[in-house]
Formats: sequence, structure tokens, C-alpha cells
Amino acid sequence: MTLLRDIAYVRSGDKGDVVSVGVIARHPKDYPALLRSLTATAVKDLFGSWITGDVEIYPMDNIDSVVVIMRGALGGGATRTLRLDQTGKAMGNGLLRLPVIAE
Amino acid sequence: MKKQLRLGSGSGFWGDALDPAVELLEHGSLDYLSMDYLAELTMALLQRQRLKDPSLGYIPDLTTHMRELLPLARKSGTRIICNGGGANPRAGAEKVRDLARELGLKGMRIAVVEGDDMLPQLDALLQSGHDLTNIDTGEQDLAALRNRIVSANVYTDSSGIVSALEQGADVVIAGRVSDNALYVGPVMHEFGWTYSDADTDRIAAAITVGHVVECAAATTGGMSSRFAEMPSMGRVGFPIVEFEPDGSATITKLPGTGGRVDEFTVKEHLVYEIGDPSRYLMPDGVANFCKVKIDDQGNDRVRLTEMAGTGRPDLLKMVVGYEDGWIGEGMMFFPWPYALERAEKARQTLGERFERLGLKASAIQFDLVGVNMLHGPASPMPDYDPSEIGLRVAVHTESKAEAEKIRRACAQLWIMGPGGTSFGTPMKPRPVYGVWSTLIPRSYISQTTEILEA
Repeated sequence: MTLLRDIAYVRSGDKGDVVSVGVIARHPKDYPALLRSLTATAVKDLFGSWITGDVEIYPMDNIDSVVVIMRGALGGGATRTLRLDQTGKAMGNGLLRLPVIAE
Repeated sequence: MKKQLRLGSGSGFWGDALDPAVELLEHGSLDYLSMDYLAELTMALLQRQRLKDPSLGYIPDLTTHMRELLPLARKSGTRIICNGGGANPRAGAEKVRDLARELGLKGMRIAVVEGDDMLPQLDALLQSGHDLTNIDTGEQDLAALRNRIVSANVYTDSSGIVSALEQGADVVIAGRVSDNALYVGPVMHEFGWTYSDADTDRIAAAITVGHVVECAAATTGGMSSRFAEMPSMGRVGFPIVEFEPDGSATITKLPGTGGRVDEFTVKEHLVYEIGDPSRYLMPDGVANFCKVKIDDQGNDRVRLTEMAGTGRPDLLKMVVGYEDGWIGEGMMFFPWPYALERAEKARQTLGERFERLGLKASAIQFDLVGVNMLHGPASPMPDYDPSEIGLRVAVHTESKAEAEKIRRACAQLWIMGPGGTSFGTPMKPRPVYGVWSTLIPRSYISQTTEILEA
């Protein structure tokens, strides 16, 4: 099974209790697959209880990238969270576990 | 008007390396060196230092950094812009002026930019009935936290920096201006742009470029998914911007330094820590990151064109920091064989100890280090017996004394725990600061600028 790991780069960080993830297609040809695979439902199902709010998906056609906004995803925000990864730096890589959805 | 402006990014956070900033001043032929020191939490920490001692509250590294940088900046004719004033820009600027005198840099002009600190006006603001809803959580009652509030700062625009530069500042020491304004300010000043419709897209371009470089090494190979391909990251070069009056720019770095600037290092940072990419809101304007064209020209040069946006917002972000209890934390490790079983037993035992110690906790979290600490529920459990596994526990409490119980309970597992249980040094409890972000009208803010001459 092909995973997002195999077609994308990623970088993530925080704003309050929001984790913001940028997912970048390594090749323009894979951008449509990125859009198909990164749905709000898939992201919420993946992280389960770690996301208490909504997930929003923002395509960036100009750079073959997708911004994923996960609300209520940092256990109360960087300054209060009980997690070791206080700013969600590692959570973006978690998204790369999602399977690539075929056309 | 200059045909091209050269700006360097000298610091991405409080604690960043100084040697790349020194290299930029020595070899970068820069007009400006911008240095960001502040994060959301930083203002609360600095404000507490100031409350303990009114002569403190600026970034403690400020003077050690400036001791290295000021003589080089004078030599290269580079002006330094930073937000290292933190919660006390005036005290920071006075220290830097004294330092410039000590270094014999006579006539050096140090600007203080103030006006972001809303703590003195906070009670009036609370009483005004203005809507101060927490924009992250929707909570409304900020007044209920009043006696726990330690800081209140507005992310201000670049007008204070522009004013300082107009007055001939060699060094600008600001407080909580937006990180972004450290780049937008010098560009607006040099090219004479105003907040008029004619300059909106160009200001949005400066905002976009500022976002790309403000975390320093993060756009020259740091934090990269392609970490394995990044050369000599311990000697990484910080980014240089060549900004042109038409609102286009090139990102590059010094030859011979580590790291890389290419299409993907720039893309990786363009998408970092943003919300809706078509509306990147800054106090100086709103940039649309969905317009920019990224052109990798090779040799560590990436050109950004077609940047656009809309005018500056009427509301500015105010971040209120408040005391929010304590966190007690512990970590212990277990060896093969049966590492996971040992961790599970230790978790049960810790639960029993918390009960015996009468721990009053508002939240408890356990993680298996090496299994699910970083990705939580997204992590699969190992289907083999790992060489080693850690157990981490973190607990939120109201008081420090309660948080101390975590350290005690963890230490008691030295002998109560499963065979092979290993510890490092027990962790001290740490105070927690909550962050309440809200929006207030621009009209509440008046920035002031004053020059101190060495």
C-alpha cells in the first residue's frame, strides 16, 4: 500500500490549541492524490481522541500543497498541554501514515 | 530609492545560534539584520521576570548577542531590528546603549519601540465591555481570570519600526511587534510604501517573504522532511532576502555555509504554522499565499513573484498570559524482555501510588515512549517484543505541592517497580501559563518611538 509518506513532505506547528500541517507533493503529478487522500474525516479518524475540534483542508494549487488545520488538537495548546510534543512538530509526520487513495 | 534591499534573518527564536548572524554581518553586505526572539509563551515568562525586578524583562541573550553584533553592524553599515525588548524594551535599549558606549561606538542610535504592552490598560479594557472572547476556544469570561493574569500584549504593526528608521536608528529594540513586522518595517521604510491601496500587494509581498525567512534556518534546510539530504546543518547559513521595489524577492544564503535553499525548503516554510493560506493575517496586511510563484533558480537561489493580498485588518491580536497551575512529569524506561508488560505494570503501580498519596489532579496523561508518545491514537502497537520502552506520565495540578507528588511517586518505583526499571534524573514540576488570544480594535494601540544615543 502506498502511504502519503511516499509522495509528500510535511511540516507542522501550533497556533493556540490548533495544529497546522503543511503537506507538500514531492511531484506535481501527485498533487491530485494528495487532495483525494487528505480529507477531514480521514484526519479525524487517524488521530481519534487527540482531535476534539474540526478539521479544515485548504488546497494550495500554486505550490501543489495542502494545509490541514486541526482544531482542539494540542491538548489545550503549547503552554498547557500534557504532551511532550508541546507544539505539534511531530504530528504532521503522523498524517503521512494515511494511505494514498487511488483515482 | 535603492534598487534592491538586502535583509538577513539573524534569529528565529530565543535560544537560536549566534554564529550564523555573525557570518551574515561579516559577509552578507546587508542593509538590515532582523532578529526574532519571541514566541507566544515568552511574553508571560519575561513579564514575570520584570515583576520580580523592574530592570529585567527583556530577552536575557540580548546583551551577549549585541556585544558580538554591534561592532560588526557599524563596520558593515547594517541596521539591526529585533523584538528582543520583550516585556521591557526600554530597559533592554538602555542596556544596549550602555554597551555601545562601552564598545566605543559613539553616536550609535538605539531606538525603543513601545506600545504593545496592554497590562496598564487591561482593567479599563475589561470594564469597557469590549468583546474579549478567546478566539481559540470561544470562552468569554476573561475577567474571571483577572487575578491570575501576568501579561497582555498586542501584536503590533511595523509603524513603530518605520518611525525609528526615519529617525536614523542604527538598532531597533521593540517588544511584542509581530515577528513579521521585523521584515515589513525596513522594506516599507526604504521603498516609502504606505498603507494605501497602491502598495497593498507589495506590502503583502513583504509579509509573505517575512513569513518565509523569520524562523531563520527553517527555510535553509532546518526542520526539513529531506533532513538526510541537507549538508552540514551544524554550520547552516541563515537566509538572506534580496527584495526589489516591484514586490518580488529572492531568498538565498551565504556561499560555503551549510544547509540549502531550494524550491522545497521555501515551500516547506511557506506552509508552516498558518491558517487559511489565502488569508495570512498580519497587523500590516493580509497576504494571499495561494498566489505566490516559486521559481528555483539553482545555486541556493529561489525567486518569489506574483505575491498579493489585501489591506490591513482593523482588529489586532492581543495575547493575555495567565498563571494556570503546575505540571508534574516523570519518565522511566524498561528493558527487553517483556518491555511492554513491564511498562503496563508500572503504569498500574503509579496509579495506585497517586491514590495513596492523595493526588489531586485536573488531568493525567500516560505515554509509551517509543510507541505512541508523538502520534497518540494514530500509532500502531508493536507486534514484537521491543528492546526497550519508556513510560511517561504528565499531570496537571493546581499547586506546586501537588505536582511534587508526581516526582515522589515516580521515584518510589525505583524499588516498587518491575525489575530493570531505569530512570534518568527526576524532573522538577514546572509552572503553567495559559494563553488567551483575543482581538482588539487598532484604535486602542499607540506605538511610541524614542532614540537613545550612545
